Amino acid sequence: MENTVAEEAPKSSIFSIKTQVGKEQNTADLLNSRAKKGKLDIASILVTPELRGYIFVEAFDEELIKNTIKTISYARNMLEGSIPIDQIEHFLTPTSAVAKITEGDVVEMIAGPFRGEKAKITHIDYAKEEITVELLESMVPIPITVRGDQVRIIKRKDDEKREER
Amino acid sequence: MKTLNACKDCHYLTEKDRCPLCSEQTVNRWRGYVIVLNPEKSQIAKKMNITKPGKYALKVS
Repeated sequence: MENTVAEEAPKSSIFSIKTQVGKEQNTADLLNSRAKKGKLDIASILVTPELRGYIFVEAFDEELIKNTIKTISYARNMLEGSIPIDQIEHFLTPTSAVAKITEGDVVEMIAGPFRGEKAKITHIDYAKEEITVELLESMVPIPITVRGDQVRIIKRKDDEKREER
Repeated sequence: MKTLNACKDCHYLTEKDRCPLCSEQTVNRWRGYVIVLNPEKSQIAKKMNITKPGKYALKVS
């Protein structure tokens, strides 16, 4: 049997890139196509829903990434230095979109046709990560079901109770 | 614009109704986005047990 010593592959570094908010996925796609076209040595690109306005790029050459993002208009700049994998590991298993929401919370719709409207949570579907809300300013309470990440909590039910006391 | 669906099993993102990697059904409810270009060299791919390059979702519901 041949005794071949496996060559130690150079360890990749993870860099964070500041992007236009809401254009994280587009930036990742553009960087992906640039990497494929230019045969750039990029290992992976990570877009996490918990961190808006930033993406992580796993690569080997910092300068190469810096130069590549100059051609992507959605990418703002790159943060100096790399991040150890342990610090972004928790992003790889995202928490449920409805984990922090409870029935009775007042939320603001941040996407869809009711964007900007305030609403109260009436039901939470944990399996589908969907919530049912009733718009506060609506004359007739019509239940609307939206995705859990389409709302932002502005007042928790517990806060209301505390105020009453 | 093309919509991507995620495989329920391996989280691979595809436009098709069935995953081309494991032929499992795909769904359009997914969050998080990872593009793996080089799974052998990627630490993220190793953590996620990804062995084939492509686009993946972090969470599929």
